[in-house]
Amino acid sequence: MTRPEVRAEPRRRRFAPWVALTVLVGLLAFVAVLATRDPGSGVSADSPLLGEPAPLIEGSTVDGQPFSLADETGRWVIVNFFATWCVPCRQEHPELVAFTNRQAAEGGDAEVVSVVFDDQPDEVRAFFAEEGGDWPAVTDPDGRIALEYGVAGIPESYLVDPNGFVVSKIVGGITSDGLEQLLARARAGDQGGA
Amino acid sequence: MNAALGTAGITLGLAGSLVGAVTLAYGLVRHRPRLVGMAGVYALLIGLGALLAVFAMERALLTDDFSLTYVAEHSSTRTPLLFKVATLWAALEGSIILWAVVLAGYLGLVVRRFRTRLTDPMVGWALLTLFVIAAFFFWLMSGPANPFTEVAGAVPADGPGPNPLLQNHVLMAFHPPMLYLGYVGFSVPFAFAIAALVTGRLGEGWLLETRRWTLVAWGFLTVGIVLGAWWSYEVLGWGGYWGWDPVENASFLPWLTGTAYLHSVLVQERRGMLRVWNLSLLCATFALTILGTFLTRSGVIDSVHAFSESDIGPSLLAFFTLIVVVSVGLIGWRGDRLRSPGTIDSPLSREGAFLANNILFAAFAFVILLGTVFPLLIEAFNGDRISVGRPYFDRMTMPLGLAILTLMAVAPVLPWRKASGELLRHRLIWPAWSGAGVLVLAVVLGARGLAPLLAFFLAGVAGGAAVRQLVLATRRQGLQGFLGRANGGMVVHLGVVVIAVAFAASSSFAHEAEFRLSPGESAELAGHRVTYLGVETIEYPEKTALKARVQLDDGRIFAPALQQFPFATQSIGVPSVRTGLTEDIYLTLVAAPDDPAGEAVIGVLVMPLTVWLWVGGGLMALGTLLAAWPGRRRRPTDPVSAPVPEHRPAGRVPADEPSPEPVHALRGTAP
Repeated sequence: MTRPEVRAEPRRRRFAPWVALTVLVGLLAFVAVLATRDPGSGVSADSPLLGEPAPLIEGSTVDGQPFSLADETGRWVIVNFFATWCVPCRQEHPELVAFTNRQAAEGGDAEVVSVVFDDQPDEVRAFFAEEGGDWPAVTDPDGRIALEYGVAGIPESYLVDPNGFVVSKIVGGITSDGLEQLLARARAGDQGGA
Repeated sequence: MNAALGTAGITLGLAGSLVGAVTLAYGLVRHRPRLVGMAGVYALLIGLGALLAVFAMERALLTDDFSLTYVAEHSSTRTPLLFKVATLWAALEGSIILWAVVLAGYLGLVVRRFRTRLTDPMVGWALLTLFVIAAFFFWLMSGPANPFTEVAGAVPADGPGPNPLLQNHVLMAFHPPMLYLGYVGFSVPFAFAIAALVTGRLGEGWLLETRRWTLVAWGFLTVGIVLGAWWSYEVLGWGGYWGWDPVENASFLPWLTGTAYLHSVLVQERRGMLRVWNLSLLCATFALTILGTFLTRSGVIDSVHAFSESDIGPSLLAFFTLIVVVSVGLIGWRGDRLRSPGTIDSPLSREGAFLANNILFAAFAFVILLGTVFPLLIEAFNGDRISVGRPYFDRMTMPLGLAILTLMAVAPVLPWRKASGELLRHRLIWPAWSGAGVLVLAVVLGARGLAPLLAFFLAGVAGGAAVRQLVLATRRQGLQGFLGRANGGMVVHLGVVVIAVAFAASSSFAHEAEFRLSPGESAELAGHRVTYLGVETIEYPEKTALKARVQLDDGRIFAPALQQFPFATQSIGVPSVRTGLTEDIYLTLVAAPDDPAGEAVIGVLVMPLTVWLWVGGGLMALGTLLAAWPGRRRRPTDPVSAPVPEHRPAGRVPADEPSPEPVHALRGTAP
């Protein structure tokens, strides 16, 4: 706001151009950010966890069942962080359903476990009931699991090999085919065998 | 045939807007009034072009002309008539046609309204701006988002029909047009803001003259947003009406800045202050409509509304950049000349309250913009992808919403310039009682929790303040006391109050459960008995519906359903709602039974006061209508000295009671 002026011809400092220039630079930077964004989807990303043992997931599922990642040793596990309020997660869900169905049909050795990210168990239960999917969804009430995995945004998934090591991190939505390819690549690289 | 008609229309519109823009620019720069005065002809050409495009597309849709790609991809022979008409705005290319025709309509109204002053450079520059905007949208249709491309190869015999979500509720026929009438309407005040900046004639009240245009656009946008919320409640089946989805935010942002403008323009009118700020708000509002369109149509942000991915992102972004550069550049160039010597005498005054209102609305808009684009910014800076969800928005917006309610409770009784404590006590008595009454009532009815109770109390006070103003006005002027800005504005306030109460109640006191029931079984929730009777399959020409029959305690039978459209993989839940004045019972068929005698999962949601959300929206629309009611007011551009604060003779009204109208009030209402 301006200060009170005397009644004579007010001699003002010219500062509007500078304010405008600042605003303009800020907005143009914003436009530059927008212009360089891809309508992207899932990309494999770097993570300090790659090649490390997967952080433990111990807890209960939204259905009240106990769950421990340690019990899944010997199988490939896709640890998927999601929430029902996240639109890309909702879009990703049918792909995960397709993937698990195919695994079940072919007797595959890969499974999905979802970790709930900042969401209510009832919401998640309703979501699974509506959208399908029968894999465990583990609650993470204090965000500890997400913290240990270093989750930045959801959807985000980690592929854990049969020995319990993290082999891949996928940022963004994943597709059923993409998961199959990822698994094939991981198996090829997994010379030791379990 | 249709493709040729449509392409002809687009070409005509594009030519009209381009030639019109060049002619006007030349005439304005070279001072040739005769050229500037020709704007009407070009506006007519643009209108004809847009109407021709709409006619061609609707004809193609209604006659099932699958030789057009748009029709082949978004319509079908089985689509009911209403939705065939509405398919015009069911996808991107068609909605650009809608945008263009609405813009052409506004353009025609502007030309008609200012027909005696077309050669005035002020009107000339405004029309030039509108021509440039029109040229952009016609150019979009001629290239990046051409609605009249024809299918390659054989013409299909049928199409998949519109997105299933868009063809199972009548609201879809009204929600997009309303939104567009709002969005596009903001280009008129924006055009006059640009004209005022270019000509440097800001003291003449031109902005005030376009205030009613802003009001109308704002009213349409309000209705559009409320209809959208209602649609998602009635159709999407998650029991909510607002999810902070990027598209909802995109429509909400210009609404917020537009609301701020409608308030702060009064300060300019009354005290001559905030000129630069008001111009900035108008430019921001229009820029945000384009930015919102970009965000939702470019695919950079995942959204439930991304019904069609398209490659018009870069064009929209370039247009947004142009708007920003021109607006900010002009404001920077002119800004110092516009600053007024007035200052705010006391924060406890009408103009102080308007200032606080603007700060709150600007903060609200900033918080929502930040939440919407934050993932993009973070990804740009360090490559991480993060999500911002409901929790952020809920946490950030609740205090702002309560602060705005507080302001709404106090501001309407504040006088201009300075309020004394005595005066406030006198004027706030009734509103305070009304707030206390509402609070007591809420507690008696069992409401608990600080935030909802605070919201109820503040809403009570704000409602009281609005009613008090209306009572005073109608005492003075009879039924005319409902007309005009201040009074219509109070009706809008009442609508906001009703929505605030409904929002607080429905989000704080809902009961939700899912029951797995065999036919004949019952379950109880929040005092209601739900009995599942069975399920039946109904075949429609365009879809298959699996309807559950659910009996509520009063014996009425409801039918939440799952619908399956051919060509669409997902089945769509159709909630069935028992709407009541005090609570809605919202039934969904969560999971269908495997066989007719099997168990179904029925979702039951009991939400108090939900219906009042829509009633509040209706009140807001009514208030806007009353506020924009054509009264015989002095034209702000008529030559008079700058408005001075009036000193009315003390009559039955205290000397500084805010008058329901400024000096140039409705004729014949002098006390």
